[in-house]
Amino acid sequence: MIATIAFGALIVSAVIQVIYLLRRERRIDPFSHYILLAAAVLLLAVTIDRSIRIRFVAVTNTFESLVFFSAAISLVLFVYRLRSKGKAIPYINFGGTVVAIALLAIASSPIAPREVVPPIPALQSYWLVLHVTLSFIGESFFVVAFICAIYYLASRNEERRKSLDRLTYSTIAVGYPIFTAGALIFGAVWAQTAWGTYWSWDPKETWALITWLIYTAYLHTRFVKKFRGKVSAVLAIVGFAFTMFTFFGVNYLLAGLHSYA
Amino acid sequence: MVALYKFFRSIRLAVVLILVIAVLSIVSTLIPQGKDAAFYFHSYGAFRARVILTLDFDDFFRSLLFLIPVGLFFINLSVCTVDRLANQERRKARRRHGPDLIHVGLLLLIIGAMFSVFGRIESLVYMGAGDEIQLQGQYLIRLLNYEYEQYEDGRPKDWISTVEVHRNGELLFASFPIEVNKPLRIGGIRIYQTSFAREDRAFLRDRDGISRPISNGQGFEMEGAVVIFRGIEGHSAVFERWEQHSRTAVYRAAVGERIGEYTVAELGSRDVSGLKAVKDPGFIPVVIALIVVAAGLTLTFIQKGRDRDI
Repeated sequence: MIATIAFGALIVSAVIQVIYLLRRERRIDPFSHYILLAAAVLLLAVTIDRSIRIRFVAVTNTFESLVFFSAAISLVLFVYRLRSKGKAIPYINFGGTVVAIALLAIASSPIAPREVVPPIPALQSYWLVLHVTLSFIGESFFVVAFICAIYYLASRNEERRKSLDRLTYSTIAVGYPIFTAGALIFGAVWAQTAWGTYWSWDPKETWALITWLIYTAYLHTRFVKKFRGKVSAVLAIVGFAFTMFTFFGVNYLLAGLHSYA
Repeated sequence: MVALYKFFRSIRLAVVLILVIAVLSIVSTLIPQGKDAAFYFHSYGAFRARVILTLDFDDFFRSLLFLIPVGLFFINLSVCTVDRLANQERRKARRRHGPDLIHVGLLLLIIGAMFSVFGRIESLVYMGAGDEIQLQGQYLIRLLNYEYEQYEDGRPKDWISTVEVHRNGELLFASFPIEVNKPLRIGGIRIYQTSFAREDRAFLRDRDGISRPISNGQGFEMEGAVVIFRGIEGHSAVFERWEQHSRTAVYRAAVGERIGEYTVAELGSRDVSGLKAVKDPGFIPVVIALIVVAAGLTLTFIQKGRDRDI
């Protein structure tokens, strides 16, 4: 029920954003980001409620992961809306809101069962909690980078492209260390504790590494003049596509140790 | 030499190598790893199977196709790290050691991973209550009790193997519960709770009247062949006779019937705990490497924040 209200709040926020984006005077809407904040709070309330019921941090199945991921994206969008006043922000906020809505829509679909069930033994680890939460927080910044990169490639205004390139870089620069800590470092520690091997080339692990390599390549393209701009933007888009494939595609197309997540 | 140094100092080379490793890794995830050759011929046809097997795509992460780009990346990263550090030393202000730490951490990680690849040993044993195993000649582990807890809906809640550990005859742990995510550490070995099974056992009595149990997969010699116990079907124990890698006969014997020089005295089954013993010389270097990488990421983040670069 609370998740449904949060979903409604995200839709309302997106509608308000669209109305303001279509208005001629191009004013930034003054309150849709507060609705995003409210949606984030509601989604975190869902996580807390389920955590109390299963007596563990509720990030152990696809539904719970999607709820947490949407909450993290909404919060990151809210913070960027408060911090940045650029003309691109309404578009980025709208794009990010659409991603959060899409993730929650998937959460409400049959591929993400909503039953409140306590975790199986392998998932009863606080290393797992750090692994999952930090991965999704890092990926929330990648969502913003993804929207910025698309906008960059679509934009013809050189000044705007500069500021979008800058924003793409800064969001990846923030998300990358968080993602590295969550997906790779805590993931490896958890795997070692649960299975006795910190790395087993499981398809999900390999795809997380591939995603990390793409963002690593992105950060290094900043130092090569020829790669800056378009190549960087394409890598930011590919990185996000791979993030989504690591989360969904691997689960449904490639079998492995992470088949419950 | 200078040209080689300049070649490996290149960030462009780093980007290209990172992307090459990423693309090759993608291909590897599309091909099931570690299967028999017959699987690839059956699944992909003769030509593609030959390509997969020739390029070692069936064991990609140990293949030259993967190890060569990783080796080149290791050299590239080493040279870049040394070059960066030398440049930093020449600078008086705005030194940023965060990326240096990350690079050093990654080099350590690759070294640690190599220790794991070539030095890691693991062994899976199934033990029932009362069974013992010897580890490294000095440790003796006895399974005291094995519990399987379930939630009300029947899903597994926990597997707990309570063990007693002796070192060179001295009691080390009187009762240690090994659970999933809570391994036992003794010396350089870790013992993990990994699985459980229901195991059939046949008690075989020899001519002297001494009875000993054998479990699924265990066997004994008979007339120059090996006879392996495969489990219980109905009221009979099923045995397979193997000669020179070929199964030559299947025997069934109920309680009181003979199999070779033995008589089947009793048949039964029991719960057994699957425990995995792991010795990995690469784990500690990898942990140190991860700590260095984490420190580098934190430092980079703080420095960039201070410089208002992000």
